[in-house]
Amino acid sequence: MHAFSYERPATLARAVALLEAHGPEARVLAGGTDLIIRLRDGSLAPTVVVDLKRIAELEPGIREADGRLVIGATTVMTDIAADARIRRRFEALAEAAAVVGSVQIRNRATLGGNICNASPAADTAPALLVHGAVVVIAGPSGSRRIPIDGWFVRSGVTTLGRGELVTAIELPLPAAPMGSVHLRRTRRRGHDLASVTLCCGVDASGVTRLAYGSVGPRPVLAVDATGVLADRDAAPDARTGLLERMLAEATPSARSMRASPDYRLAMLRVLARRGVDIATARLAAAEGRR
Amino acid sequence: MSAGMSAAAGAAPGAAPGTATGTATGSGRVGDSPRRVGGHDRVTGLQRYVADLHLPDELHARLVTVPVARARIVTIDASAAERVPGFRFVMTAADLPQPMPRFGPQFRDRPVIAVGETKYHGDPVAAVAADTRDAAEEAAGLVRVDYEELPAAFTVAAALDPAAPLVQDPSLRPNDPLVGTNVLREHRVGWGDVEAAVADLVVEQRYTFPMVTHFAIEPHAYIVAPDGDGIAVWSSIQHPNWLQKVLAELLRLPLSKVRVHSPDPGGGFGGKQHTKYEPLVAFMALRAGRPVRLVLTLEETFQAVRRAAAEVRVRTGFQSDGTLAFQDIEANYLIGAYADIADRVVGKGSYPGCGPYRVPAARILARSVLSHTVPSTAFRGFGNPQVNWAVESNLDEGARALGIDRLELRLRNLARPGEAFIPFDTPCDGQWEQSVRRAAELIGWGRPLPAGHGLGIAVGIKSGPTTGLSYATVRLLVDGSVIVFAGTSDMGQGARTVFAQIAADELGAPLDAVTVVMGDTAIVPYDQQTSASRSTVLMGNAVLAACREIQGKLRAMAARLHGLDEATVMVDRGVVRLPERELTILEVLVPGLGRLGGELIGNGEMRKDAEPDHPLGGSAAFFEFNCTAVEAAVDEETGDVTLVHYATVSDVGKAINPLQVRMQDEGAAIQGLGHTLMEHYIFDESGRIRNLGAIDYRIPTSLDLPLEIVSEHVENEDGPGPYGSKGMSEGALLCVASAVGAAVRDATGVAIRDLPLTPERVWRALQERP
Ligand SMILES: Cc1cc2nc3c(=O)[nH]c(=O)nc-3n(C[C@H](O)[C@H](O)[C@H](O)COP(=O)(O)OP(=O)(O)OC[C@H]3O[C@@H](n4cnc5c(N)ncnc54)[C@H](O)[C@@H]3O)c2cc1C
Repeated sequence: MHAFSYERPATLARAVALLEAHGPEARVLAGGTDLIIRLRDGSLAPTVVVDLKRIAELEPGIREADGRLVIGATTVMTDIAADARIRRRFEALAEAAAVVGSVQIRNRATLGGNICNASPAADTAPALLVHGAVVVIAGPSGSRRIPIDGWFVRSGVTTLGRGELVTAIELPLPAAPMGSVHLRRTRRRGHDLASVTLCCGVDASGVTRLAYGSVGPRPVLAVDATGVLADRDAAPDARTGLLERMLAEATPSARSMRASPDYRLAMLRVLARRGVDIATARLAAAEGRR
Repeated sequence: MSAGMSAAAGAAPGAAPGTATGTATGSGRVGDSPRRVGGHDRVTGLQRYVADLHLPDELHARLVTVPVARARIVTIDASAAERVPGFRFVMTAADLPQPMPRFGPQFRDRPVIAVGETKYHGDPVAAVAADTRDAAEEAAGLVRVDYEELPAAFTVAAALDPAAPLVQDPSLRPNDPLVGTNVLREHRVGWGDVEAAVADLVVEQRYTFPMVTHFAIEPHAYIVAPDGDGIAVWSSIQHPNWLQKVLAELLRLPLSKVRVHSPDPGGGFGGKQHTKYEPLVAFMALRAGRPVRLVLTLEETFQAVRRAAAEVRVRTGFQSDGTLAFQDIEANYLIGAYADIADRVVGKGSYPGCGPYRVPAARILARSVLSHTVPSTAFRGFGNPQVNWAVESNLDEGARALGIDRLELRLRNLARPGEAFIPFDTPCDGQWEQSVRRAAELIGWGRPLPAGHGLGIAVGIKSGPTTGLSYATVRLLVDGSVIVFAGTSDMGQGARTVFAQIAADELGAPLDAVTVVMGDTAIVPYDQQTSASRSTVLMGNAVLAACREIQGKLRAMAARLHGLDEATVMVDRGVVRLPERELTILEVLVPGLGRLGGELIGNGEMRKDAEPDHPLGGSAAFFEFNCTAVEAAVDEETGDVTLVHYATVSDVGKAINPLQVRMQDEGAAIQGLGHTLMEHYIFDESGRIRNLGAIDYRIPTSLDLPLEIVSEHVENEDGPGPYGSKGMSEGALLCVASAVGAAVRDATGVAIRDLPLTPERVWRALQERP
């Protein structure tokens, strides 16, 4: 590991100042489950590492505010997967958090780290896309919010600017029930990085939101507002055609050794079909509970 | 069959026959499952592995490699490395004695460090020594190696191409007829006349087996320290005495000046049998005049040890009633750039390739094909799983074509006790049918299955050690406690526990009053090696003999003390029997030793000599026999394979410690699921290993296990080891792939002949299903 200086600021302002001063030479450290690996293998060699874990404003936690669920950027997967509100309202996110790495990894891995690392395979990304998350950013010119579908650029790259960091991820609390599910393909059942991720959400108005990852440079969101996909009685051809169009943005790389492009595309379709079925069934169950 | 001993027969009420309960039980006598000796420290982290040991004044070494397989080394420039604080020196071929010292258990082909060219991805061209591990790593990364990539061969086909670049320098085997090729050796065995054999059905197929690595959890680690006029070595090695010999020869030292400490390894699986980087570290330590340590990373371990891949063509002749007419097997094993023990793996692993069956005519041709890949070495199963996968799968093809039940076909051809199924070798030494029937029973062979489910059954056989030499010393101390000296390496298989149980039982000591000393060539008598599932049988017999020598002394003592004729005194499993009464060992020992106290010392030797005319240099001390039966469910949309039930039954002669037997069988089964379902090296065009490390080389986790595993064993006390035991611990790995593959075939109707059966491979095969 190359030598670097380690900063552990106590305030957000100090962290932002450090990040602004060092620009690309600086790296934020949250749980470290991505960063430390890249420092060790030498693929990242920052001169400054800025640890977020002592920043008062970045205490981990999940709270409700103004019709939104606000998840602190440093909240770990274990806590997300266990949170009763998330499990009830954003089931796919709870499921996604629950499959990240292993128990030990989930005890360290933060939600902020997962989206900032911006791996195309990031497990929480599809669920955040489906649930319409908003990324809350602090930077030299104050705070800004951007919808998650404007966040991911390509592998490892987001729209985060110089001196900026993520402070929270917000989920608008849906007015009506929604059924959602996170599915993924891995090479084994034990912890693994996904070769396809997919989240499907169906709401009471029949709108289906599909988001998928690991089949292109960034996760993709596709929405069916026609209600056809979620309608079991719709003509099968219509549903299949619609699904094809929604999955059309998948462009898996041939260079990956985790799965070949044709297998990924085939599995994307399998997951999408299964995802729609499960989400629809969950929606029905949720409506039944009301 | 002795009463209640067989897993196949009815047995003691309460417990399933031959099945150990999940917890340690019993006082520690033979046949009990006491708590594992050393187990507590192993699971709590107290055990000190080589990497945990630190010597004062030690330096840290790191290897320097290039990112291609075969390259001409043009220049090595360490000037940037030298500027790293704590840097001490860099060692290259130029710094070593000339000509470059070479070593290897079969051929002296492996240089201490690469000379002139690298031969595989990971072949070190230099090593850096520094004051800290971080400094060594930093400096190693700054050593600039200019190299020129050279043409190379990474597959059997490429290596056998007449135009292929030669992996090995021809001067290393000057008079060898195969010297102009990448075939290191060909092994031919056979009997009967395959050409003349007549069969009703001939099935011919080609199967492949992937390149996989051992993945021991303990990293390979080496420390060498100058020690007076010799050296002291610490290595996580299975064969400390062999290492001692290699180093003594390379450094021209007497054996007595090379002291090898081999703390219990944390998993070996064959990967820690033979010398790897100890010579390099020794030369570095001698140069530094200080201890030098090298701890391999997981990635470096992938580049140090692996199993041979194989391409196997099998042609099997069947009669219409399912009896075998002939087997014609051609196996090309892809070994690495240096021979290590790989050619022995090829010869010995292919030799019982026809399996435990009566085969009237057989022809087995196996080649050790050199390639520009990591040197392959011994790995649990020792070359057998590769051929087993092909031959057992081919039997299934035949059974299906003939419309004969696959279990029935196996039973029909299975060798019976005493039958010389390999004409010039040890005859069938077990009631093998019992294991097969029991495995079938456990899986519910023949029952109706849900759609998408299938059953598979396969058997595996492996020749035990063909030669052996183990010495043991046992000391019975005046208070009745015992010290056993045994040169076996306990790498997790539980050898310490087994030897302690034997000594405790024979000398009437409580188990926790027995200490087993291993792992120091200056103290512990010679042992040839820890391999081939030999230690319970060979070292176990040596320990038993040492105990019996002490028992002889006790008899003489008792006779003297009680004025009896020695012939009327017996010592049996911890009790001294006089004509009129019984005494404990202590009741004889204490008065017998007298006022000065002292101890009784026994020495035991177990020797299995070579047989020069035998194709393997010796007949099998025993056979490991296993039958595995599996129920698999296949998700046809994704190719996912779920193992719903898994049964493994091994013939072990006698389970000295039933729980350990079970743990070995289950461990072997799970390890075998690796090459069966997910493990394989992936290379790029330059022979660089792409999935180097844990992220993209997947081994089974607890979530990947069968939903249920049942393991049982058959005990007929018909083995050559203590109390009729046989070696075990590889058997349950031999036919894992064959049984799982058969179940997948049964579930889907598609035969897949390449491993591993990844979901993608299964899916693809299903897509191509007519
Ligand atoms: C063994 C293993 C298994 C894994 N399995 C999975 C898996 O199944 N699914 C999955 O999605 N991921 C997996 N990961 C990846 C990783 O655990 C996740 O991406 C995790 O969420 C990263 O969070 P972290 O807090 O550890 O991030 P860190 O490593 O601390 O940071 C990751 C990156 O994000 C930046 N960063 C972190 N927080 C912020 C912030 N608040 N603002 C700005 N930048 C920030 C860092 O600078 C760094 O570049 C695995 C990792 C390992 C080691």
